[in-house]
Amino acid sequence: MSASLHVHDVVRAFDGVRAVDGASLEVAPGSITGLIGPNGAGKSTLFHCISGFLRPQSGRVLLDGRRIDRRAPHRVARSGLIRTFQTPRALTRMTVVENVMLAAPRHPGERLGGSLAPRARRRERDVSVRAAELLELVRLDGHAGALAGTLSGGQRKLLDLVRALMAEPRILLLDEPMAGVSPTLRVELLEHILALRDRDGITLLIVEHDLDFVMRASDHVIVMNDGRVIAQGSPDEVRADERVVDAYLGAHHGGA
Amino acid sequence: MNVLASGGFWAFVGVVAGIYTILSLGLQLQFGFAGLLNFGQVAFMAIGAYTMAILVVKEGWSTWLAAPLGVVAAGAAGLLLGLPALRLRSDYFAIVTIAFSEIVRYVATNENSLTGGSQGTIALGKVGVAAQYNGQWERFQARIQGWLGLSSKDVTMLVIVWAAAIVLLALVWLAVRTPWGRVLRAIREDEDAAASLGKNVLAYKLQVLAIGSALAGVAGCFYAWQFSFFSPDDFQPLLTFFAWMIVILGGLGRVWAVPVGAVVFGFLFAGTRFLDFPPLSYLGGADRAYVRLIVIGLAIIGLVLLRPQGILGKREEMVLE
Repeated sequence: MSASLHVHDVVRAFDGVRAVDGASLEVAPGSITGLIGPNGAGKSTLFHCISGFLRPQSGRVLLDGRRIDRRAPHRVARSGLIRTFQTPRALTRMTVVENVMLAAPRHPGERLGGSLAPRARRRERDVSVRAAELLELVRLDGHAGALAGTLSGGQRKLLDLVRALMAEPRILLLDEPMAGVSPTLRVELLEHILALRDRDGITLLIVEHDLDFVMRASDHVIVMNDGRVIAQGSPDEVRADERVVDAYLGAHHGGA
Repeated sequence: MNVLASGGFWAFVGVVAGIYTILSLGLQLQFGFAGLLNFGQVAFMAIGAYTMAILVVKEGWSTWLAAPLGVVAAGAAGLLLGLPALRLRSDYFAIVTIAFSEIVRYVATNENSLTGGSQGTIALGKVGVAAQYNGQWERFQARIQGWLGLSSKDVTMLVIVWAAAIVLLALVWLAVRTPWGRVLRAIREDEDAAASLGKNVLAYKLQVLAIGSALAGVAGCFYAWQFSFFSPDDFQPLLTFFAWMIVILGGLGRVWAVPVGAVVFGFLFAGTRFLDFPPLSYLGGADRAYVRLIVIGLAIIGLVLLRPQGILGKREEMVLE
């Protein structure tokens, strides 16, 4: 069920500026991998390249050994790789529960006229039950019927997460899941994310600026700077790596 | 007799409102539900009307085959336009649709041998013979009139057009309430989010463009039958914007707001014809026709200020970020 991800030498430039400049990384199935780096390191661009929203100019992205870097975003998603966005993408003029139900994969009722089939109606019932469960999990069940545009920033972040789960990912890419989430919710969110790995066997790749969270949640940490991977290893190894400290604080912070 | 009191006149206004309802329903589906900015809706109406008339006059087809083919041709034209144009960003797509609608009108004006040119459908047949495409329709209408015991042709047309409009409204209403409609609304809200959840955004947009265009094709056939004659001049871009006014007047994202908007618009448009009291009566008839447009424009500005959500729209949806 868990998926593996391989990124080989991906390059993506904008007007000659190489936002991602030969990045290579590996995400082991069933692991939580943290992706960190200073602003402008190329993390979000790399996420776009992996999820099909940007086409790499060179290099390859493989999901379970199959190339996905030429696939359209919706086809990447259907292969089992689901991503969230840095700013939550609540569909504001739809209800909270509709936001979640939308994500159900392989729904026969989503074909034009497909709802006439009895199995589409059965599926819709199952989907609404599952959506209610997921909303309860992040305590948004009280808002199920409200328009998603009425949610706070932190609640939208949670909505994005459970919507991604509704899509039944085998690998989940989270772009700054902690940003804008209140400290109390952060503790819960960390537990949810660990449970996704331990209970559901979902592989996770997480971009996050909250280093404390990354070090606590990750099995493996990858550090990017200037579009490349500059270090990786266990949280402890990365913490001790001088190149990482340099990247974050500037190359000559303690130098003579 | 005062024309205001004449039933025939108001039945005619109602027929036109019914035709506008079908035309605007396509826009409501495209923009109100899927967020597609189509400024060329009138082109698909023209394609439906011309396909029907040409097949009847030139090929001698039965109206009952030619009209459905006109609808299919309009839908197919939407699909063909969408395949390249939907890859553009939404505002560029809007520009392409308005250009497309002008191209269709210019082709209809200049391709004399195909469309009768600027003379209109009367020149579809042999030189010197006034071509007619609606003989079969007139007989059908007369039969319905006798069957329902209706007083006039206008009232009969009113019943037929609105029966068709209500069936189409109901079909669209049912369709947008399904998971299919849920995907459309998601695309309207944020197409990247929809794509990130595995929805094939382009495929849905193409479907909606084709369906909306086919609805315009239906409107085109009724338009052709109602007036027994038409020319490229009937398909000015202004008509597309009338349809847009109807959608905005009624309220975005509400299927049943379309007939409400169309009726309000139709009666505003026709009713202002009778603004012949002073000081407006000092103007000539032709000038008053323009005053009419000013009055409608002011009414719409007022409505947008007071009820930006339209007559049936929901205000809370307008204020969300």
